[in-house]
Amino acid sequence: MMEYVGPAMGLLFTLENIIWINLGVFIGAIFSAIPGLTVILCVTLFLPVTYTMSAIPGMMFLLGIYCAGGYGGSVSAILINTPGTPHAAATMLDGYPLSQKGRTKAALKIALEASTFGGIFSALALLFLGPQVAKIAAQLGTAEYFMVCLFGLTIIAGVSGKSLVRGIISACLGLLIACVGSDPMTGYDRFAFGSNRLYLGLDLAVCLIGLFALVEILSKAESRAKAQNMDTSKLKDDGRITKDEYKRMFLPTLISSFIGVMVGIIPGTGASEASWFSYNTAKNMSKHPEEYGHGSVEGIAAAESANNAVTGATLIPLLTLGIPGDGTVAIMLSALMINGLNPGLSLFTTQGDIMYAIMIGLIVINIFMQIQGQLLTPFFAKVVSIPEEILTPIIVIFCFAGAYSVNENYFDVGVALVFTVLAWILRKIDLPPVPILLGLVLGKMTETNFRRALLVSDGDPSIFFSSIYCKIFVVLIIVALAAIIRGKIKDRQAEKAAHAE
Amino acid sequence: MGFKSAHSSLFIPVCVIFVFMEVMPTMKENFLDRFYARLDTLGEKLQTKELRIPVNITAGVVFFLFALFILAVMPQQVPISEGDAINGRSFPTLLMAVMMLCCAGLVLKDVYKIITKKPIEWKVINLNTEVKALVIFIILLISFFLCIVTDLFVVGSIFCCLGFLIYFRCKKPSYYAITLGIAVIIWVAFRFGLGVEF
Repeated sequence: MMEYVGPAMGLLFTLENIIWINLGVFIGAIFSAIPGLTVILCVTLFLPVTYTMSAIPGMMFLLGIYCAGGYGGSVSAILINTPGTPHAAATMLDGYPLSQKGRTKAALKIALEASTFGGIFSALALLFLGPQVAKIAAQLGTAEYFMVCLFGLTIIAGVSGKSLVRGIISACLGLLIACVGSDPMTGYDRFAFGSNRLYLGLDLAVCLIGLFALVEILSKAESRAKAQNMDTSKLKDDGRITKDEYKRMFLPTLISSFIGVMVGIIPGTGASEASWFSYNTAKNMSKHPEEYGHGSVEGIAAAESANNAVTGATLIPLLTLGIPGDGTVAIMLSALMINGLNPGLSLFTTQGDIMYAIMIGLIVINIFMQIQGQLLTPFFAKVVSIPEEILTPIIVIFCFAGAYSVNENYFDVGVALVFTVLAWILRKIDLPPVPILLGLVLGKMTETNFRRALLVSDGDPSIFFSSIYCKIFVVLIIVALAAIIRGKIKDRQAEKAAHAE
Repeated sequence: MGFKSAHSSLFIPVCVIFVFMEVMPTMKENFLDRFYARLDTLGEKLQTKELRIPVNITAGVVFFLFALFILAVMPQQVPISEGDAINGRSFPTLLMAVMMLCCAGLVLKDVYKIITKKPIEWKVINLNTEVKALVIFIILLISFFLCIVTDLFVVGSIFCCLGFLIYFRCKKPSYYAITLGIAVIIWVAFRFGLGVEF
């Protein structure tokens, strides 16, 4: 490890990287502070920008957005009682009441400091756990890799929507779309329908712009966000946090960061689950549970540290196995692959300096997030009230410019529009889009390993159950499926009970 | 296109901003107000019209047919070498088989529920919402075609800004100026910052 740290520092600490980190943090915080705009939308919009960059600045920019997105959601949650991102909902429970007590600045400061702590904690977990998991990943063959992909897809399909079966249909659709273009093993074109452009396949960023960004514009037809007027006079308190409050927050922050890391490692789970789980754990452990929901400093710290502790942990399965921990990091995988960085042990050995630069960079991102948060929070607060009339066309122009810039042709913009219609139809029939994203990202890897394994075994499918790792993944898939089905049944029963009442 | 230059790209939005700052106050009292009034009447009529679709059956049937279509076109769309047991068709065929199984499962589950008179999942589709979504999509589509026809990204961007501001019934000239200004900034950032030719 130490042999890579020195060169990694040299690669990381350049003016270019520092600028991209700060730009990413700034944009991520703004996007997530505005209710209705999500981190995944932001990363989708800015992914094409990274196509012209090398691996480190590109990843630093996207990770900056991702990490700051974890914090930015809390700004609107505390100020206007509306979480900027879904995972800031738990923060809102205590953040807004504390703000109502005249301690807005203090609430924002707690959220920022807890986010930074959680983020750095998870970056350290990535730094130390990542290479160890990668060593295990190095022992996996093609059959095992197929099972890993299957495991990731199963979990994402299961947790993404109301129905596991509908999730599987979405995942199959994503995997099929990934088949468009030249065959990864023979080079023959597939599903090109006579179009020269389709021969090269569909670019992930273009598909995502339609699936996640432009469809949000269509959803303006469903409802319009009310204009949020932020009263900046709220930010007039001194923002002081007492020693006693720091003492009370330390343990919940530490435990929540640990929970965030554990939740983040599991593919398919994300910041929302981590923040709610941590919030409840902290409440159960607290000496003052009655304060929760009424402006508890512990509550804010627990929720915020957990949702930012997910950021580094989701990268562990991504960088070691190529399985994204959540939808947002799935997009980042393409930013890595475009620079020839394929997940696995080789990434930690042959390109160890780049990998360590990215992992150390995550710590630096959190430090800059803290600095920007301290200096720019009043500005982020004002951004919350940007009217929808201005924001909507700007997002569309960004989407068009992003889709066009991938290959510098309007065909890609057309493809993005086709995916917008597809996403709208899927929404109407309750098919979740995240498994499609996973299918798109993992498609080539899943198919290549599937076919290679079968070629090795002369078409005998028992190869997928042959090794100990395969068996472990089969058990994991069964356990995951059982847990998902059990969860769905419980949800349905709870829904029925609520309906009966 | 010789017309495609930085000056012309900047000239258009500046003109549009000027025209809107000057003309908007008169426009809103005449044409736009009548236009919005007509839309309101139409919206009121559509608001009450709803379609109820059984989610599982619809999703199941649509994607079952989709999988059948893919399997049908597979021989023409996926060429293979003779004698390869595992080829370019194996994986998509497996996917479509899984998709069809899942679709059949969804449909059968709901058919069973209907037979046993248990409630099934319905999705209510409001026609007013769908028409609004269609209008938004038309704005996107026209912006896209304007970009292609003129080969000037900024023309499509201007239409997009105006289209959405009118859709949102925005009557503040300053919003028009800000949005068009930002549209130009985005074009400048991509054109000169990232070197994208459009």
